[in-house]
Formats: sequence, structure tokens, C-alpha cells
Amino acid sequence: MRSYGVLLALFLSAGSARADIPDGFTRIFDGKTTKGWHFSGTAHHGTTAIARVTKDGVLQLLQHPFGQGGLFLTDKTYKNFELYLEVKIPFATNSGIFLRSSEGGSAYQIELVQGGATGALIGELLRLSQGIPAPDLTNIWKIDEFNSIQVRMAGDAPHITIWINGVKAGEVQEPRNDQIGGFVGGRIGLQLHWHTTYEPRSVSGGGMSNAMKPGHPLEFRNIAIKELP
Amino acid sequence: MKWAVALALSVLTLAAQTPAPPAATVNSIGMAFVRIEPGTMQVGVFHPDCENGGGGRGAPRDPRMVWVEADRAACEAQTRADRRDGFPVTIRKAYLIGKTEVTQGQWKAVMRTNPSLFQADRVTNPDNHPVESVSWQDAQAFVKALNAKEKTRTYRLPTEFEWEYACRAGGPGQQTWTEIRAQAVLGLGLGLAGRGAGGRGSVPAAPSSEPLPPETLMQYTARTGRTNEVGSKPPNAWGVHDMLGNVWEWVADPYNGKIFPDPTPPKSGSVHVLKGGGFASDVKNAICATHAFGPGDPFAVGFRIVKDLP
Repeated sequence: MRSYGVLLALFLSAGSARADIPDGFTRIFDGKTTKGWHFSGTAHHGTTAIARVTKDGVLQLLQHPFGQGGLFLTDKTYKNFELYLEVKIPFATNSGIFLRSSEGGSAYQIELVQGGATGALIGELLRLSQGIPAPDLTNIWKIDEFNSIQVRMAGDAPHITIWINGVKAGEVQEPRNDQIGGFVGGRIGLQLHWHTTYEPRSVSGGGMSNAMKPGHPLEFRNIAIKELP
Repeated sequence: MKWAVALALSVLTLAAQTPAPPAATVNSIGMAFVRIEPGTMQVGVFHPDCENGGGGRGAPRDPRMVWVEADRAACEAQTRADRRDGFPVTIRKAYLIGKTEVTQGQWKAVMRTNPSLFQADRVTNPDNHPVESVSWQDAQAFVKALNAKEKTRTYRLPTEFEWEYACRAGGPGQQTWTEIRAQAVLGLGLGLAGRGAGGRGSVPAAPSSEPLPPETLMQYTARTGRTNEVGSKPPNAWGVHDMLGNVWEWVADPYNGKIFPDPTPPKSGSVHVLKGGGFASDVKNAICATHAFGPGDPFAVGFRIVKDLP
């Protein structure tokens, strides 16, 4: 009887992806469907990418057609919040977590490039007052595995703190709100970077080829949020 | 003397070869139109390649980012599979298209309201900025009201093909970045805002510890991005302004759910096509071929209209 209990515990922990969100957080990706999310119809990365959910509860984002990415956005908007998610990104891909994103993709962005500037705070189509340089993730980032990102964002001129695999990786108090139009708040977005223009030979420097190796999906799981007052 | 005759002759020859610019057509609310002549274009051309595989922007920081032979082979296979040569579209009848996007001043003259975000508290001369924060239904209401005001039925939203044909002005659907930078009204995109100023992809320098002075809404707007007055950049080859950037533009067609339009657009649908990009777009998508869809960012969505010729 006892051994059955151990086996059961082992079985449950093997499928523990569903349990691994911090206390007090609410899942915003149900692990089964893409309900509550949509692709932006005007993002420059693309508007026709693919989002699919594996049987292990992983959200995969893939370019479609070749070199055309997208911006996968929450239907709901958030102002002050803590966000938690786990991400697995192959080498030679370019992703990012968009915070307070507009529908078209003007946002605060935490860069996600394995081997690159992962963890940097930058502005995407947004003139950021104060960025956070890429942290040294040696001994923190796990190559080709899921890594957790947690971010706290609060205030009209936001205070932003970033943790990677539980280690504080950056913090900034923005001196001002930088959102277009004076709005405060927006969508959570997952960036699937574009890679090539429609007719690259007509565009000098028109490729961002090391942004995305062909056929490699970006993977996310356990996406959860805790809204703050 | 001989030279003078030759010069006069060559000037005459040149004049005969260059079509006269279309007569300015201005309607009752001061809206200027450009006459677009019939012709043919190839729509939906998609020719991605692997030419820069493993290169791209900046040197890879980790050798594992570099493409290996398998990546290159996958790229070749996928670009072959996804390549599209498009389809020809013939514009059979000349039409007039707005020389600029519909302005706030023109909207107010017809509708007596102004839904735009970027009004007098945020920009100078808002009457000459494009109207924005309009839905597709709002744009149709404007068309209906303008037709009633002028007792006509000739105004309407352009079809996507009419819009794209006028945007391309004889060129391809994908503009070069040089052409985009010359014509497009982009405020925040790559290489257009100045990367050092905190544009896309930049990490600004460490802040000073001095508290920042308070801003007016006008200063805030100038710092964070806004529409421009219409006609602020040179027109395209056919004399049409602001096709790329400033505000996204509604066209009549429902969205088909694909990267390019079909030869025959859907007859109905609740989502509609947006063209041309807005001020917060990028050289990547502020091209004539971009087949985007609503709602977009309301503050960057407007429209222009066409007028049927008799």
C-alpha cells in the first residue's frame, strides 16, 4: 500500500508542470487551449503565426509562413501585477515578454534570446526612459530547458523587478510613464520575432536571420498572474 | 543657336513623354483627390530566402546560435514550400483617391464630432492630423454622411486592391527600406526614432539622479509618440501622401484570415482589413502589401476615401 503511495507521488510529480505556479497567482494559460489569448492583427512581427498547445500543457509558437512571427496577446489588460511564466527557447531564436502592451505591440519588453540579451528591459515601439542591461545569467540560465521568469510591475511610472529562476536579475524605477497616449496598463504579450521580409532581395539588410532558426518553436508553460492594487 | 534649338526640342520631347499631373480635385470640405489610372499589379508575392542565414543583425554571442547545415537545409525546404508568386489584379476603371488620410478637420466638417486622441491638448494644428480612433463602421458612417452632404453616392472606402494599387504607384508590394524611410510617417520604428533616443531595441543610458521636471500633455505626447500632420513627407510616385505610416487605414474588405488577400475578397465578415501601418509601426510592415486586420491600436487607425468617376 505504501509503495503504491510512493508511486502515486512520483507519478504526480512527473506531471507537476501544472502545479508549479507561485502561491496567490492565477493561471492565464489553461494548459489545454489558447482561450484568453489572440494574435495581434497589426504587429510588425507578423499576423499569421501558429499557436498550439501540446499534450504536456506547453504553448508553442511557430512562425508561419517562413520568417513571419507574431505577437500573442492576452485578451485582458493589466496595470499593476506580478507575472510568472516558464519559457524554453532554442538558440538562434528571438522572443520577449511584452508588458503593458498595446494591441499593435508598443510595449515594455523583457528580451528573451538564449545566448543573447535575455533579461534586458527594452522598449518595443516605445521610447523607454530607463532600460535594464542584460544580466549575467551564468550559472542561472539552464540551456535548452524551461526557465522561470517572474516580473513585478506597478505604478503609473512603473517600478519593474525581474527574477530569473528565482534570482533577482534586474530592477528599475522608471522616472515616467512611457506609453503612447498616456495610457497606463495593457496586455501581456509573447513575442515571436520576425525573420525575413516578403521580398528580402529588395531590402538591404532586410533579414534578421539569426533571430530565428527555421522550424524551432518557442515554448511557454505555467503562465500565471497576480493582480496588484 | 543650334544648341538652343536642340535644347528646346528635347524639352518639348520630355514634356510629351511626361504625363501631365492630374488636375487637382477638391471637394466641398477641402479634401483633395488624386486620379488613379487603370492598370495591373501582381498581388501576394512572397519570396523569402535564406541568403543571410546565420548572419543577420549583430554577431552571434554564442556559437550555438550560428546556423549549421541542417538549419540551412530546413530553411531552403521551408522557403521553397512557402514561396508564393501571387496573382494578377487588374484595375479596370480610373478612380479618385484621397491625396491624404481623412483629417480631423474634414471629419468635424461632416460629422460635427471628433473621436481622435491627438487633439489640441496634445498636438498643434490637430485639424490637419488624421482622424483616428475610428472603427470600420465609423468610417462607413462618415462616407454615408459625406455622400448625403454632397447629394451624391460616389464616395466610399477603397477596396483593398484599389488602396494597394494607389500605394504601390507602379512598384512592387514590398517597398525597399530606403523608400519606406523617404515616404513613411513612422515615429518609433527601427532606425527612424534614433536608437540612442530609446527607440526600438535600445537600452538607454543610466538615469541621472536629478528629479525630472513635470511635463505638459503636449510634451508627453511629443516624447512618447503621436500622429503627424498629413502630407508631412514626400508623396509616392503618383502624388499620394501618407500611404505608409501615420495611421493604419480601413479598406472596404472583410479579412480572409490569411497573410495575403485572395483574388476574390470575402463578401462578409466582422473583421476588416487594415493597410499601410501607423506611426508606431516598423519598416517591416509599413509596406503596401501588408494585409493586416482590426482592431489595431485605436489611436493609430484612420482611413482615406475614394470617389467614383462618372
